Amino acid sequence: MSDPQGTDDVLKEGPGAAVAEPKEVQIIELDGHVGHTLEPEWKRLPIGPDNILYPVIVGIALFPLLMGDAGHHLADDMPDEDTHPFFPDHFWPYPVIIIVMMITLGLLAAFVQKNLQLEAPADPRAVTIPRPDWYFLFLFQFIKLGPELVMSVVIPTVIIIVFLVWPFIDAIAGPRVAKRLGWKRWPVPGRNVMSGTGFVVFLLIIAVLEVWALAGPGFCLPWLTGPVCGA
Amino acid sequence: MAIPHPRDIQLAAVRWLDERYPFTKAIDEAMYQRVPNFANAFYYCFGGMVFVIIVLQLVTGILLAIYYVPDARGNPAAAYNSVLFIQNTVYLGWLIRGVHFWGANILIFMVLLHMARVYWTGSYRAPRELNWIVGAIMLLLILAFALTGYLLPWDTKAYFATEVTIKIAGSPPPPQLGAFIKTILQGGPVVGPSTLQIFFTAHVFLLPALIVLLMYVHFKFIRAHGIAEPL
Repeated sequence: MSDPQGTDDVLKEGPGAAVAEPKEVQIIELDGHVGHTLEPEWKRLPIGPDNILYPVIVGIALFPLLMGDAGHHLADDMPDEDTHPFFPDHFWPYPVIIIVMMITLGLLAAFVQKNLQLEAPADPRAVTIPRPDWYFLFLFQFIKLGPELVMSVVIPTVIIIVFLVWPFIDAIAGPRVAKRLGWKRWPVPGRNVMSGTGFVVFLLIIAVLEVWALAGPGFCLPWLTGPVCGA
Repeated sequence: MAIPHPRDIQLAAVRWLDERYPFTKAIDEAMYQRVPNFANAFYYCFGGMVFVIIVLQLVTGILLAIYYVPDARGNPAAAYNSVLFIQNTVYLGWLIRGVHFWGANILIFMVLLHMARVYWTGSYRAPRELNWIVGAIMLLLILAFALTGYLLPWDTKAYFATEVTIKIAGSPPPPQLGAFIKTILQGGPVVGPSTLQIFFTAHVFLLPALIVLLMYVHFKFIRAHGIAEPL
């Protein structure tokens, strides 16, 4: 077959034609990539880009994908025996947690319907004792313990600001406390007991106020300003 | 023309995507990265559980918004009737509303547990101060969620709880500031239809947008800093 012009064109079509080699794909590098120690190929899930289930993996991985590159992190500098792969070793408890959580919420919704039932429709003329829901009930009780403005505005605002700037308070006060106690290092490994205990005590105070309020108007305890009753 | 194997079509699609963004590489890095062994301690999962519940709240909230009517005019108001309709008539409405209700309650518990963990491991310390502040703001957002969501059924207890809250929120001096806060929250001379409109807008549009944004920032920070070492 002599075809002086365009032999190549003819050969590219028809059943006997040579299959074109796929072009070498240039992969775009992620920003600031520093080379993580990834699991070797043979240890990975046998679902690669050619597997029918790969779209499912892409779906699961959408979240870390959104998050972008993790950068260089602690595990990259640790020996292999001190680390484990994210998938499946670190990942598997989460589906279990999700299922347990959904079952718990479903059971609560099914069997504790009492809390969900509506009262009479809102009516400004109704005679009722106003009482907030439990997560504000402690504050409601706290207000009764002193002058209203101080208890309802000043102290909560101070507490919120202390919570927001806590890392800085810790960084300033921590070394001084450590010095006074004769500790050589700050933060001391294994000794974040003070702020941890402080937070638990804070939660306990809230719990006591909560129980006090829940005990009802008939339950009164002596206080500096006279007996204070529940809500 | 031979019909290509579905696997080849998928491979071609993946290659097409990889030429535009390193999807395969990002997925490998997200899934097969190594995690320090200390991150396996049970108390490191509270934050993940909070995330799971927030996602559940978003899903059930969207389902509830299909039937909820934010209209407080009349007695009983359309808002009250629509909640009754969800509770008693809509197929599985009681379940969706129950999961949303109990999810909200458990969410506050889990957030406090997560916070206690951060205190005990001292994870708020440098370089993670900013992430602590983002988390503390999210705690305030979740309390705002609880507060605004409580009014939506528009029954007696919701009405009077909100009235008390607005009275407290409107008490800081000078009186102009208190009156300003009160106007913003209440939208009128008394707690009424405009208050419900404001609380509904906050609960359904403003707060979800803010919390999703802050969650993204929170996770970005976690990925940048890595998991905090326990003390």
